[in-house]
Amino acid sequence: MTAWIDFARGPLFRLSLALMVLGLLRIFIITLLEVRDGYRANSDKIVSWKEIRRQTLGWLFPMFRLWRQRPIYSTVSFLFHIGLIVTPIFLASHILLWRQSVGISWAALPQVAANWLALLVIFTGAGLFLGRALYSPARKISHRQDYFWPLLLITPFVTGYIASNAVISPRTYQEMMLVHIYSGDLILLLIPFTKLAHCVLAPLSQLVTGVAWKFPPGAGDRVAETLGFADRPTWVLNPRLTTAPVEEAIRKGGVAK
Amino acid sequence: MASVMKSLTRPMTAEEREKAYSTPKKPDVMERQRLPVRYHVEDFNVEDRPRRFLEVFASVLQHHPNYRLALDHYMRVTTRCARCAVACPIYDATHDPHDIPCYRSELLLSIYRRHFTVSGALRARLLGDPGLADEKLQEMADSYYNCTACRRCHFECPMGIDHALVTHLGRYLLSEIGIVPRALVVSTREQLIGKTANTSAIPLPALIDTLEFLTEDIQDEKGVHVPFPIDQEGAEYIFFTSVSDFMMEAETLKGIAAVMKATGDSWTIGSKYYDGINYGLFYSDQVMEHVLHMMRAEAERLKVKKILIGECGHSARTAKFFYPTYCGGKNALPVISILEYTQRALKEGRIKLDPKVVTEAVTYHDPCNIARPGWIVNQPREVLKAFCSQYVEMAPNGRMNLCCGGGGGTVSIDEIRPFRTAVSGRLKAEQIRRTGATYCVAPCANCKKQLRELMEDQGVECEILGLHDLIYKAILLPPDSAEETAAAEAADGSTASPAEGSPS
Repeated sequence: MTAWIDFARGPLFRLSLALMVLGLLRIFIITLLEVRDGYRANSDKIVSWKEIRRQTLGWLFPMFRLWRQRPIYSTVSFLFHIGLIVTPIFLASHILLWRQSVGISWAALPQVAANWLALLVIFTGAGLFLGRALYSPARKISHRQDYFWPLLLITPFVTGYIASNAVISPRTYQEMMLVHIYSGDLILLLIPFTKLAHCVLAPLSQLVTGVAWKFPPGAGDRVAETLGFADRPTWVLNPRLTTAPVEEAIRKGGVAK
Repeated sequence: MASVMKSLTRPMTAEEREKAYSTPKKPDVMERQRLPVRYHVEDFNVEDRPRRFLEVFASVLQHHPNYRLALDHYMRVTTRCARCAVACPIYDATHDPHDIPCYRSELLLSIYRRHFTVSGALRARLLGDPGLADEKLQEMADSYYNCTACRRCHFECPMGIDHALVTHLGRYLLSEIGIVPRALVVSTREQLIGKTANTSAIPLPALIDTLEFLTEDIQDEKGVHVPFPIDQEGAEYIFFTSVSDFMMEAETLKGIAAVMKATGDSWTIGSKYYDGINYGLFYSDQVMEHVLHMMRAEAERLKVKKILIGECGHSARTAKFFYPTYCGGKNALPVISILEYTQRALKEGRIKLDPKVVTEAVTYHDPCNIARPGWIVNQPREVLKAFCSQYVEMAPNGRMNLCCGGGGGTVSIDEIRPFRTAVSGRLKAEQIRRTGATYCVAPCANCKKQLRELMEDQGVECEILGLHDLIYKAILLPPDSAEETAAAEAADGSTASPAEGSPS
């Protein structure tokens, strides 16, 4: 079992981390390139940067917006995200691993705080699961995978918490560590390919929306041209107003040349 | 806000629901068009719709990098948290999961994912997914016109998804295969290729008659000659408003003309093109661009310096935010709303309002198209507070206001009035009732029509009017100078004639 753990902690972790970083970089850059394309296609270049900045910061630090809708769920979600990001990065034993393998380290959380944060993630994660399962509108728009994510995300926290508080561990330390590390690696691997990618993409949303509302001039005509409507756009395609050949064309496929 | 939202979270009764979803449309038409929607659609080719829809989608993605950007991004970040459901007045009324903004967007996002991404194609191959079915198009056709595109949900989405943009795109794609409300497309056709070049088909002589009549009216009521200048080349402002105002909103127009008279700025209405309405915002980028080009041509013909938009939410939004896009970028003529103009004039002391005239309780409804971007929120309030002794606020208001229920062009679709007044305007009616106001100021032609129908159908006692209707009651106009009296007599109390004849 030690070999399995070492594999997951060593090569597999490095691979997962590398894939995560590269994968996230890829979609982040793709999004920025698409923003650039959208911005270039728009002729006026008037984008409300102030509003984009305001909304982006507002959602990065959403403390003042949580109460507006679904306050309990929103607060639970906010706390969950804090614990989810802070705990694994600032856990003393994780930093130790970094120091041993790469030689870098940073300030660690006190163990007590880390324990509380882990519990926070576990309970708020379970809360998110319940919030989805029990709240009718959320349930109705959820996909199957949406229930899976909170459960997967709290798995390393549950096992890590049990492992590091050995007194309450029902199974051996090693078994807990095995699940802890493999689930952690799996999460890292999945982040760039799933909705978890919002961890880097969400801050771009307001920028994306701001640019996406900028329509390229002439594009509507070019679409019509591509579709073969160039001389008879949609608003002319009315059997009562148009001539016989057009009616014929409409019946055949709506394409009038 | 919470109080209003909570009060109506009871689901609609079966009877209310039946009435709301009723339609005068004949079942055999729905059958023929294979389209179970409540709005009328002109007959169109129904064969092979999914394939043609995908062709349109591909073409739009090819020419609009902005939509690809949005869909790619929204598809990746959507977490389906349902916060938007609570922000949506329509979901609040129906409690139907199909009315959750995120569900509505997912209709289009799922097509994008399936047909325009590699992972979607692979997944489909693995699962044997046959791809887009006609039923989905039918669902979209219904769903995208149940949304009023008010953008309220955008502010509640932690992922920053703008569902109204997806609705806009969904309607655009549908329109290109012929699925578009007849009410919108008929008006647009008249505006773009018809003889009268406006959505209400008002001929120029009728317009001139109306304006002359209004001038006489003002002369009688205020004793001052207030002209509606037509085709005054080189004027400071060219005025566009929802053309229906010329038939329905005489008081608003009189108020606007009175303000212009008081400030003394030169303004004009163009005889070749005088419609501010732009239904392109509701269903087609191509229409939007062509309508704005007509506006530009008229502004250039008359060599004006600025574009002034009357009390109309979507006209103001399309002109303010899309005129630069389609008509010259940063060099495009500046666009200002009459609401901004009047507030500025009041601040500078160029107009005087009598605070003793309007003593009844007045409330203000924020039209989504001008309030949501944070553009016009405080200006009309400043004006109202300056002369209305009893001003009351609705809650919520400003950028987080509730839609009147007729946004996104739905107000022009008469056959869905039961839906608009029972479902989409339900919360609004309650909100207005709670203010207890005598007057509700709604500076938008769409909102006014919808709110009047809403007050009638929901039995709320409140008069809906424009900001300038009230201003007209209270404005103090200086008496005409000798020169002006002479000019008025010379014109025989009539409007300045157009420089050229009728455009037709």
